[in-house]
Amino acid sequence: MNLQTDLKSEHVSHLVVSGFAQVPAGTPVRDTLARMRADRRVVCLVVDGEEPAAVQLVGIFTERDVMRKVVDVPGMLDRPVDEAMTLDPITIGPDASAADALRLMDEHHVRNLPVVDGTGKLLGIMTHQAIIQFLADRYPVEVLNRPIDPEQFPRKAEGG
Amino acid sequence: MSTVATEEIKLTRKDFVSDQTVRWCPGCGDYSILAQMQRILPETGVAKEKTVFISGIGCASRFPYYMNTYGIHSIHGRAPALATGLAIANPDLTVWVITGDGDGLSIGGNHLLHAIRRNVNLNIVLFNNRIYGLTKGQYSPTSRPGTVTKSSPMGSTEQPLNPIAVALAAEATFVARSIDSHPQHLAATLERTAEHQGASFLEIYQNCVIFNPNEWTDLSDRRNRDDSILYLEHGKHMIFGKDRDKGIRLNGFTPEVVSLDEVDLDEILVHDATSRPLASILGSMEFPDYPAAMGVIRDVRKPDYTGELMAQVETAQAQRGKGDLNQLYLAADLWTVEEREETEAREITPSSSDFDEMPITGLDEEYIDEMETPAEVLSDFQDLLVTSTLAALEPNVPITMGMRSSLARTIRQMNRHNIGCVLVTDEEDRLVGIFTEWDVLNRVAGLVDDLAQQRISDYMTRDPMSLKDDLPIAHALNLMSLHGFRHLPLVDDNGQPTGIISFRDVVGYLNEALEEE
Ligand SMILES: Cc1ncc(C[n+]2csc(CCOP(=O)(O)OP(=O)(O)O)c2C)c(N)n1
Ligand code: SF4
Ligand SMILES: [Mg+2]
Repeated sequence: MNLQTDLKSEHVSHLVVSGFAQVPAGTPVRDTLARMRADRRVVCLVVDGEEPAAVQLVGIFTERDVMRKVVDVPGMLDRPVDEAMTLDPITIGPDASAADALRLMDEHHVRNLPVVDGTGKLLGIMTHQAIIQFLADRYPVEVLNRPIDPEQFPRKAEGG
Repeated sequence: MSTVATEEIKLTRKDFVSDQTVRWCPGCGDYSILAQMQRILPETGVAKEKTVFISGIGCASRFPYYMNTYGIHSIHGRAPALATGLAIANPDLTVWVITGDGDGLSIGGNHLLHAIRRNVNLNIVLFNNRIYGLTKGQYSPTSRPGTVTKSSPMGSTEQPLNPIAVALAAEATFVARSIDSHPQHLAATLERTAEHQGASFLEIYQNCVIFNPNEWTDLSDRRNRDDSILYLEHGKHMIFGKDRDKGIRLNGFTPEVVSLDEVDLDEILVHDATSRPLASILGSMEFPDYPAAMGVIRDVRKPDYTGELMAQVETAQAQRGKGDLNQLYLAADLWTVEEREETEAREITPSSSDFDEMPITGLDEEYIDEMETPAEVLSDFQDLLVTSTLAALEPNVPITMGMRSSLARTIRQMNRHNIGCVLVTDEEDRLVGIFTEWDVLNRVAGLVDDLAQQRISDYMTRDPMSLKDDLPIAHALNLMSLHGFRHLPLVDDNGQPTGIISFRDVVGYLNEALEEE
């Protein structure tokens, strides 16, 4: 039993993946930022199509893009988000294993993988956070139930 | 009703953390429950000074010390009685009762029943580890038959109580169940418990790692817990299983587990939290014959005790005027209790050292050996989590910025080094804040006109959580999972940053270390 075997046998669909904000392609960066703040999300998926059931993923826009392409680039706020997003992001299916997801993130140096099922439905964002949560739940004795402040020691003995 | 000004202030988790040393064993499920309680209380919007935790005696009952609210660590089994009095005397308070399976169902069973039966406005949380933890591992009223403990060396022969059934027998208006090892479920269920008006009863399956570590393994094992737990949602079909391919159907009065491949969806039970008979059925479903029902089993609204009682008091006062307690006392027979002469010294009972010298028989030793065999050998991975320290991750040297740096300079630095987070330090190079990409997105981009004119100290998160590098890796994972932190600063004894670690570092290290073996 080790990390790799654990993660190989766990499907992405069984992890707690993160949520995301969503805007239609062509939305100005300014409005995209407002959407992300309102939803408290660090990832925004940029989609084509109106019907919720039939949207098409065209790009991903994250806090990293805000940092590198928006915040100190004059005029970007009024440009469409399409100019700052990553086109055709790498995605992962719900039946892929957590180990596959980690490998993909590592190889492509990304930390957000949109989870998309066979019909193109957007299910969430696979991040490292999902793996942390898994490890905490998988090893509650070691990880979850730790003394809050490991440096605090009782000053006197006491019963009850 | 007096309104305290602080009610307006948005509280955070930290506001509910007390400065007391937590005295639970490392690995005890109580930690997880404490963390989730501290997480959900700010969400309920109740002020700290309007919140009271009342407990009895036991490990679970140490809970009030660790909450930065009012609290009473009361008498064994009597928390519901004290809480009833308090809830009636001051209906403005939110009163939580924290109890254990021993405290709440052995010595305090009676009090628990009556607080629930009266529908006093209390949130009662029973930590069920099926053992007396504090007194070092005797069987409790929820221990399964056959449980070998110090007080049942040949295995308990008693029929255990089912806490959910007990609460329902008292016609509890809110009954729920959750488990310590599933923090998301636990948080959501605690929130529902807090919301309900009247007596709420929540049973939490809790792991006592020291005296009963294998009690809940089937339900807590992350890899297959979804096959052993039925998550209840009002109005939804009772479907469960890792692949959501099983359901619960009624056969006469008896529930049965069926495969969805073989049975139509409309034969599957739909959860109705207002149905009393259904609550009994769900409560009676015991693992492993059935999946354990988790979530809100019953949720109905009935008049709460305080309201009814005070209405009667008001009516009586309207009819007969306000009473006078003093007069009532004096109306009874009075007499004086006098001091008595000391009588002869009593016979002395044997001291505990006499007991120590009494011989232990061979039979006892045999059972004690049996009880103390370790249950499970730790895997390499578990070992690594607690034995490797953060220093082994060889953390990156942190990029730091002075508090007076401008936003423009900070963002330039972050982009130059291609990093998502910087640490902010004061004149003595001590860590005072952290500034991340999320802050840029949330508070800066498109909101600040001139980045060069603004100081980082106004935009950073102050006093971030930081760690020393001699702590085990598990500790970093704990903080990352509880609070969603992606980066954790490391500091030395002077509070000066020495490194920064991310989850990527942790996974990378664990992977590599395991491969080397
Ligand atoms: C009047 C009285 N009787 C007995 C005890 C001994 N005693 C202390 S805690 C406890 C049981 C605790 O069990 P539980 O409520 O399950 O708490 P846990 O430690 O398991 O969390 C007992 C019997 C006591 N302190 N006072
Ligand atoms: S004895 Fe058991 S219940 Fe008590 S603190 Fe230790 S692990 Fe927790
Ligand atoms: Mg107990």
